[in-house]
Amino acid sequence: MSDDPFEAIKATFFQECEELLADLEGNLLTLESGSTDIEVINAVFRAVHSVKGGAGAFGLENLVRFAHVFETLMDELRSGRKPCDDPTVKTLLRASDVLADHVAAARGAGAAVDPVRSAGLVAELEALTYGGAAPVAAAEPEEDDFGFTPVAMDLGAFDAPAGLPDLPPLPDLAALAPLPDLSALAAAGGWKVVFRPHPRLYASANETGLLLRELARLGPTRVQMDDSGLPLLDALEPTDSHLIWTIELDGDASETEVREVFDFVEMDCDLSVTPLGDAAPVEAALAAVADEDDSDASALARAASSELDIAALLASVGAASTEAPAPVAAPVIAPAPEPVAPPPPVKPAPAPTAAAPVQTAPPAAAPVTIRVDLERVDRLINAVGELVIQQAMLAQRVTESGLARSSDIGLGLEDLELLTREIQDSVMAIRAQPVKSVFQRMPRLVREAAEATGKKVKLVTSGEDTEVDKTVIERLSDPITHMLRNAIDHGLEGPEERLAAGKPAEGTVRLAALHRSGRIVIEISDDGKGINRPRVKGIAVERGLIAEDAILSDDEIDNLIFLPGFSTATEVSDLSGRGVGMDVVRRSIQSLGGRISISSVPGKGSTFTLSLPLTLAVLDGMVVGAADQTLVAPLAAIVESLTPNEADIHYVGGVDPVLRFREAFVPLVDVAQVMGFRDDPTVLKGGVVMIVETESGQRAALLVDAIHGQRQVVIKSLESNYRHVEGVAAATILGDGRVALILDIDALVTAKRSRTPSRSDLQMAS
Amino acid sequence: MTHIDQILTPNVAGTDRELIAFRIGEQEFCVDIMSVREIRGWTPATPLPRSPAYMKGVINLRGVVLPIIDLGARFGLQTGEPTERHVIMVAHVGSRLVGLLVDAVSDIVQLSDAAIQPTPDVASDHVKSFVKGIFAVEGGRMISLIDLDHVLPESEAEAA
Repeated sequence: MSDDPFEAIKATFFQECEELLADLEGNLLTLESGSTDIEVINAVFRAVHSVKGGAGAFGLENLVRFAHVFETLMDELRSGRKPCDDPTVKTLLRASDVLADHVAAARGAGAAVDPVRSAGLVAELEALTYGGAAPVAAAEPEEDDFGFTPVAMDLGAFDAPAGLPDLPPLPDLAALAPLPDLSALAAAGGWKVVFRPHPRLYASANETGLLLRELARLGPTRVQMDDSGLPLLDALEPTDSHLIWTIELDGDASETEVREVFDFVEMDCDLSVTPLGDAAPVEAALAAVADEDDSDASALARAASSELDIAALLASVGAASTEAPAPVAAPVIAPAPEPVAPPPPVKPAPAPTAAAPVQTAPPAAAPVTIRVDLERVDRLINAVGELVIQQAMLAQRVTESGLARSSDIGLGLEDLELLTREIQDSVMAIRAQPVKSVFQRMPRLVREAAEATGKKVKLVTSGEDTEVDKTVIERLSDPITHMLRNAIDHGLEGPEERLAAGKPAEGTVRLAALHRSGRIVIEISDDGKGINRPRVKGIAVERGLIAEDAILSDDEIDNLIFLPGFSTATEVSDLSGRGVGMDVVRRSIQSLGGRISISSVPGKGSTFTLSLPLTLAVLDGMVVGAADQTLVAPLAAIVESLTPNEADIHYVGGVDPVLRFREAFVPLVDVAQVMGFRDDPTVLKGGVVMIVETESGQRAALLVDAIHGQRQVVIKSLESNYRHVEGVAAATILGDGRVALILDIDALVTAKRSRTPSRSDLQMAS
Repeated sequence: MTHIDQILTPNVAGTDRELIAFRIGEQEFCVDIMSVREIRGWTPATPLPRSPAYMKGVINLRGVVLPIIDLGARFGLQTGEPTERHVIMVAHVGSRLVGLLVDAVSDIVQLSDAAIQPTPDVASDHVKSFVKGIFAVEGGRMISLIDLDHVLPESEAEAA
């Protein structure tokens, strides 16, 4: 995060946006499922409103404009003037996608928003809002903003304490106009505070922004700034005070409470506090102010002056989320603009901006959470990993020293072991996150895929709360995205075809997550036509992937789609079928130590099942020995292990050894030799062979001296303090406290093939 | 040539620098004490494939995989197999943490910048890439000041 406080605030805003957008989509989906709960509609409204409010404070005009249109429609819906029917919700969902795009664009994270798409949705939303009739131009939103046009503040001026106001061009500001809370305004209570600081106020180190913030604590406020007294730049006296503030305070604070806010500055400002319901025109208010301080009447005649305290203004904007509109048209003295004109009985307006962020907090008791730097968690995990190793070493020493397990020390160690394990589990749980964060992105994807293919699709998710390590979460998104697209593009039929097959026109895609035997399983299933086996086989033959006369089981045919270069789509569609199909998915899953499988029933649909380790911080490994070194081979890559029969070992061209394995010859890799632990290539006897499969599906036989057993190991990076070493994926620390290298199977097999290792490039350290 | 301030922590005016001196064979070297995190005895390292001969491998330092560099071999000196009497100085090199295998840590010396003389031209280029200056201490000993930036394999030092 940047050190710049403004950037930090902005980053927080975008973080909140993420959450708001997620809430927004979640609530819209609830509406889509048929709920008409007014609370849900309100929640959607508040989310959009909060995004708009924050965006306004940061001058993100495009975002504000779009959010405003969205919000206007939501307002119609929550007032019940427009029905919240299915087509409307569908439009809202698409609008939420575009809103997310706008946020991403504003953040600089995404590409610019497609203006056609955005404008199209604006038109759709407006059509829904105004019942098909074109909106009454910009006049409509302006109606309820008291004729005031807010000054959009250039927040870049934040750091310039006495800088000039950076007044951006005013067109389109109608869209920026805050929607004042007229209903609250009409309610009894509330105060109108007119406040004109004298230069003395600033001289004694008081700040308008702090006072405004203090006022905002008493209730929702609307703040207006009159900068009409502001002289031109050449006449500007920076230490003078030029601004007049009009604050409308809702709620039931007493006059004393309001005045108390100004306790310390009372002598240094003009202040009037009048009941809000009172339609006293502003001249009267100002006259009252003038009466209170006659000596300043002449100053008032010049329409007041106020130090242009941008920083304070911005602080108030940022802190209380209040927008600060200022009259632009004429000085306050002029009769035209009237901030407290009795409100026309228009539609109930949205909740006050200041209160909105508070209201977005989910009403249900959410678990209390804190944000923690991931690095701290990782450090903790490292420390606990070391604790586990130390504990194991200690236990080993105690056993070696001949102490009985029933001795005091032995019993104490047992307790320590239990405690250690508990700590380890708890620490790993800290980094575990529900897969919800990934699943949440999928409804949008499905909508877009459905739109692009013209199919009707319903996404049903389950197991969103299934937890998995953060390292895995981050890498789940791509494979799931790809498989969902595939399911919609290739799996589901079009509506007519579905109806003809006696299925509902709308296809269903299920996305489920569950824990199974220490792994996370993700299932993606569709109720489409299933895998067209004759066609799959035909394509595989056509592409030369299998022999024409190959006899394959159904299962084997289904699995052909995972072969590199296999893509069933006859025409390359936008969605999938660029030739990087399921083989890419499989490779990325395998690189995570996972497996993928498919089951399909013709006419009923297909199910893809991914199984992944719960964390990438630990690995299921096979501990092996090669030339006095202990190494770890990733278990996921090992197909089986065997003791080779010498007769099965052959030499291609008399040099390169191959092993006959099930009627096929696979390259035989002497691990100790390729790793440079041993020079002599002839020692192929007496070892054990692991048949491994690389990520690209090639098989090879790795020769080691012995297999010690299976173990879960903690993965440690070699790169963090040294550098990548070819043939080594990472390192780990074994129970004896020594470092063991984890083999990079793919690199080993490739290295074997690409060159015959020579002594020079395998120079050993010891 | 690297200025002294670049290989040593900036000096506080009026105070002497603290350097940690160590021995490899008959020669004495030193590094800025601030770059040394701890000193520990030699434990057998796990060898790394495809590594230069001065890379002794990696050891476990409380959960951190620590690469061990035989500093003598790195300087091109004759070194034997490490024994239990050898020590590892755990030092920061850039953002990395490395273990430097030396014969023994001999001293902590304090001296002012003025006492440090540039490396004489008699030294070979290879030695000069590590030795950034020399100085004399009591008893007629000469100590060479080491710049740790180049002790990791070259390609990595550039990338780091």
